Amino acid sequence: MSASSSSTANRPTSAVVLAAGEGIRLRPLTANRPKPMLPAGTRPILEHVLNALIDAGVDDIHLVVGYQANRVRSHFGSTYRSVPITYHTQDNQLGSGHALLQAREGPSDRFLLVNGDQIIDHRIVEAVSTAHTDTATLAVVEGPEAVDYGAVHLDGDTITELIEQPAGGEFRLFNAGVYAFTQEIFEVLETLSVERGELPLTDAIQLLIDEEEHAVGGVRTDHFWMDATHPWDLLSLSRELLARGWVDAQPTDTDIYVDESAHVHPDATLVGPVVLDSDVVIEAGAVVGPYAAIGASTTIGSGSVLSDVVIDTDTAIGPNTTATELVVGQGSEIGAALTVSGGPADVILDEEVYSNVDLGGVIADRVDVGGSATLEPGALIGPKATIGAGVVVRGRISGGSEVVR
Amino acid sequence: MCGIVGCIGRGDGTVDVLMDGLRSLEYRGYDSAGIALGPSMGVLRKSGELDALTEVVDANRPSGTYGIGHTRWSTHGPPTDSNAHPHTDENGRVAVVHNGIIENYTELKAELQETGITFTSDTDTEVVPHLIAQALKAGEDPETAFHNTVDRLEGSYAIAAIIDGSETIYAARQGSPLVVGVGDGCTYLASDVPAFVEHTRDVVFLEDGHRVVATTDGYTVLDEHREPVAVDVETVSYTAEATGKSGYDHYMLKEIHEQPTALRQCFSGRSDALAGTVTLEEIDSIPQPDAVQFVACGTSYHAALYGAAVLREMGIPADAYLASEYALSPPPLSLGTLVVGITQSGETADTLAALRDANSRGVSTLALTNTVNSTAARECDHAVYIRAGPEIGVAATKTFSSQLVGCNLLAEELVDGPRDLRALIESLRNLPDDVQSILDASTAETVAEEYGNSDAYFFIGRGTNVAVALEGALKCKEISYEHAEGFPAGELKHGPLALVTPETPVFAVVTGDDERAQKTLGNIKEVQARGAPVIAVTDGQSEAAEIADETLLIPETDDRAAPILANVQLQLFSYHLADALGRPIDKPRNLAKSVTVE
Repeated sequence: MSASSSSTANRPTSAVVLAAGEGIRLRPLTANRPKPMLPAGTRPILEHVLNALIDAGVDDIHLVVGYQANRVRSHFGSTYRSVPITYHTQDNQLGSGHALLQAREGPSDRFLLVNGDQIIDHRIVEAVSTAHTDTATLAVVEGPEAVDYGAVHLDGDTITELIEQPAGGEFRLFNAGVYAFTQEIFEVLETLSVERGELPLTDAIQLLIDEEEHAVGGVRTDHFWMDATHPWDLLSLSRELLARGWVDAQPTDTDIYVDESAHVHPDATLVGPVVLDSDVVIEAGAVVGPYAAIGASTTIGSGSVLSDVVIDTDTAIGPNTTATELVVGQGSEIGAALTVSGGPADVILDEEVYSNVDLGGVIADRVDVGGSATLEPGALIGPKATIGAGVVVRGRISGGSEVVR
Repeated sequence: MCGIVGCIGRGDGTVDVLMDGLRSLEYRGYDSAGIALGPSMGVLRKSGELDALTEVVDANRPSGTYGIGHTRWSTHGPPTDSNAHPHTDENGRVAVVHNGIIENYTELKAELQETGITFTSDTDTEVVPHLIAQALKAGEDPETAFHNTVDRLEGSYAIAAIIDGSETIYAARQGSPLVVGVGDGCTYLASDVPAFVEHTRDVVFLEDGHRVVATTDGYTVLDEHREPVAVDVETVSYTAEATGKSGYDHYMLKEIHEQPTALRQCFSGRSDALAGTVTLEEIDSIPQPDAVQFVACGTSYHAALYGAAVLREMGIPADAYLASEYALSPPPLSLGTLVVGITQSGETADTLAALRDANSRGVSTLALTNTVNSTAARECDHAVYIRAGPEIGVAATKTFSSQLVGCNLLAEELVDGPRDLRALIESLRNLPDDVQSILDASTAETVAEEYGNSDAYFFIGRGTNVAVALEGALKCKEISYEHAEGFPAGELKHGPLALVTPETPVFAVVTGDDERAQKTLGNIKEVQARGAPVIAVTDGQSEAAEIADETLLIPETDDRAAPILANVQLQLFSYHLADALGRPIDKPRNLAKSVTVE
């Protein structure tokens, strides 16, 4: 009893969350909001991140906001689950180290640092905060993603090297982006300058590793950790969350979650796992699920058949739509009988080609789609675009444009 | 007006509790502030915003184990140090804070002056400490002296007093809000819950005539005959932090951005889109009224104008009255009339007076309010809540939007007969995203920059957009201090057109493309012919955008929802205009959030 209470007493209970970045590779979904506010299930990614922190005992949250900051502020306000939130603004997105520096006046003692756009099990946070002794401690995860996130060398519980761009397959351990720091990290960051438009946090950690007097701790963990880098990742993210029941609603059946204010026609069918948020309307004859996340105040028209979809808030899907592997943003109006038949697809994002992606299509915010349109696999429709009746959409349609047959 | 606080049982933390409490009540007034502490009977008070008092407190480091505090919005006497509360008797044995108006203070003052007492302020409040002191001198014990004094007061008041030699806070409520916070070994008193919600969420909502005697042993609530009464302790749900600025520069901007959430909350669970029906459970059983009279003040009055217009369109005779006029010049009403009071706080004195007048004439009353358990909600036969969440900015924004949705729900619930409401429900469900799309892309800031140096600003509209025009002008006046007027568009040529020049931009609210829109286009040309620049607030259905010099665009929607969207653009314009002028947007001069004096 005394041993465990003394160890918890020393654990950091403040956390800094980096939520200032747009997430360029998630365009066109990030036109109006930063990546942490994109849907994971029916809730913003950031809400899951804050849940993990609070479940791990954090009682003081500092959000670093930047790109479309008002979206974050107005969603969370001054408290989340009774935990006070303080906002710090990063006016220019100059990297994670620079972002953390914006919160210099935030936590007064040891603190945790997490990314606002990566979903983590609260036990990862607990592991890092329990292990934290010296200046810096970070969570280490094993997996093939090291190529994307930067590999680490771990000697016992000490990090001996950070490798930013490892050759494929060479390293198996990578940095999960969950840290615990003492105030010294700020002093280290202040000795560094922004170079090539960036001040990465890893530069500061590398400096600590190189110094004799500090040890950078590493904690191996195999708990759930997931990131969305590309638009199609939102589908797998939702699949994972639905499978785990990480949805903010009471199940009406084992894996069917329906908010009490939602209206489901008696002749509609829900196939679990599926989640319907507040005031969702499912019209007669619709079949929704498996793996469907339907956001607040969205309507699914009669006779529509949807599986493996993430439909965000305030959207209307017209009757007799058939869609799979589809992501739709906020406030879009989809006419009757849209067809989205799913991947695999070759998708070009940011001048890079991704082959064999499981993506039916992406429709961003406030898109207007006429009746009987079709999305070819991997189609991306930008915000406020207008798609005429009967149009077959291929590739990328830029925001605000009008496409007619 | 004003906000009062008190606390006993907190020992050395008393000063901090009082100062934090006043900070959260600043929305009720910020002309001057003060505190009085026992057992020393030390009083500190200062004109100006609370920061001025904070400096004095920091410099003097007063101590005390119980005390009272006050933040003032002037009614009797200018905001000076000597008019700041607490007020004391000549010997400093009694200190009193007061919110409201003591209507018989002139005769009480004259009577006291005859006995040789010198007054040091212009306030009505000062009679109270002198009366208590006089009673003490006559040999009464402190509690009896307090009761005997309160018995003599007429008007509306919430009063708290401390008396030398008695480790007690005495308080009374008559017509002005006062709540008790029940802590662990301590008791709080305040005009409103936020003053102590960070210490306790257990609250007693006092009723008129109630008096409170609070000591370190707890509190007793008495009625006006000094008999103890049983009261319910309710647990309130909101937290102190819910009222922070969340990183926004101003509460007003925060609340403008909260509108999508507020509107979603207001409408959630109150419709069935599949059946095309709207249900307000709170008033499910009310029969259809023969007529509806709305009573309200300020921004809420503009919501009332909108609500009355909606009901009239549905065939129910309905009118909106300014509450301050209604109580004193009541219109005729028949027994089948429903009187609806719209008040954000539920404490607006003028609106309460109008509702009480209606109540005394035997008709049903309904409060459309944002504040659960407010006086209006408790005194009316029915209450409908708009669920907008706390609003701190003095200039109402999100609560107006939610009031308009509330008016639609009210109208659809009250009026019998089968109707297919699916189109209306669809447009109300779309409101959160429609408002968000305006917040994402509004060019109101640019318009405010371009026209920021104008002589005056005019706002016109027809039908339900008249309410938007009036509200747009009121917002502009409140926070920018610039001259602004709103008119029904057709009225311009009957007089106000004389004010229109090239230096007076005209904001024309034109939604849809019906006859009203067409006629408003004519009015736009009318003012353009006089050289005035025109900013159209429009959904693009009519030709307004082509004719006007500037456009603030809103999404196309149902004509019931369009005024809510148009108003958001005007909120943003006024905000950016005031911000560019460096105005204290959350605390405009001479104003207070909820006006609890008539």
